[in-house]
Amino acid sequence: MNAQSPILPADLSQLSDAELRKLERQIARKHSGMVPWEAVLWAFGNLAVWLSLWPLVFSGLLPLWAAFPIATVNMALVYLPTHEAQHDIIARPGQRLRWLNEAVGHATSWMLVYPFEVLRVTHLDHHRHTNNPELDVDIGTKADGPWSAIWGTIQGRQPGAKRNHDYAGAAIRANRPSLILISLAYKIAFIATLGALAWNGYALEALFLWWLPYQIAITYIIFFLSWAPHHPGNEQGRYRNTRSWKSAVGNIGSMGMQYHLVHHLHPYIPLTRTPAAWREMKPILEARGCELGELEA
Amino acid sequence: MKLVAASMPLVFAFAFLVPVIDQGMQAMGLGAPFGLSTLTFALIVGGGWGLSAQITGRWV
Repeated sequence: MNAQSPILPADLSQLSDAELRKLERQIARKHSGMVPWEAVLWAFGNLAVWLSLWPLVFSGLLPLWAAFPIATVNMALVYLPTHEAQHDIIARPGQRLRWLNEAVGHATSWMLVYPFEVLRVTHLDHHRHTNNPELDVDIGTKADGPWSAIWGTIQGRQPGAKRNHDYAGAAIRANRPSLILISLAYKIAFIATLGALAWNGYALEALFLWWLPYQIAITYIIFFLSWAPHHPGNEQGRYRNTRSWKSAVGNIGSMGMQYHLVHHLHPYIPLTRTPAAWREMKPILEARGCELGELEA
Repeated sequence: MKLVAASMPLVFAFAFLVPVIDQGMQAMGLGAPFGLSTLTFALIVGGGWGLSAQITGRWV
């Protein structure tokens, strides 16, 4: 028996590829299948807090300078619940709580000015083609180091950025070209909302409650969810296209992405269970030659 | 639709950037140079920046 897992034998060196894969799946199943209620509460709680900032600021009960950092945290926290929904982790098609899975996705993704279906289609495409220079929608986040990664995320949001075309390409590959129009409608609605607020005297409120928090949060999200776990992004194999690493800001500060390797191997495991799954799977990951960095069990 | 997508930087500039500059200057008590109003100054700066982004495809 292995010290880290009751499922694993002490010595993995004699096991075949198929046997290792079977054990890996057993561990993954052990850590999946439950409804991640914390993600549901997180999604709607975060949405409620952000929405409440608007009347609080407009009524003068909360100063804008105090609301701005809260809004920024809200924006940074949007993505992970919708990410759970993208992978059908809350409920799969046909399950009783499927409506909740879709509600979480749709209720949260609009804050980041993306339709839920666009996030889902492009993200699943990223899983299919991770680190492929032609097909990975997130390949544009590849960078030599952290500062160039941050600059790259800003460049990726420019009107003429390649990333826009990569996302459109993923929608077309999925035979969902209508998603491009829906994305455009979201962008127009976003600008229309900002414009309506701004020309009615609330430009700074719109700036500090939505536009700037969005810019800061999306940089943070792309840095930790896309660049860091895939860096250096040169390999495409199942066990080499993602890595584990020790984050300077800890697991919470990096939004659980130290264990992103497990997410790519078994995307149906809830976020909060990936550290435990990683620890139990670690001997297999070592046997597979995964990049585990300095992350300790 | 392509026209709308293609003109997003200019639309963003006049819908949002201009009033942000205008109201930001007023909030900080900054006056516009050359005797201009803050709104006129914002239209020049924001509109110019938007036009540049429209042409080059980049804000920064």
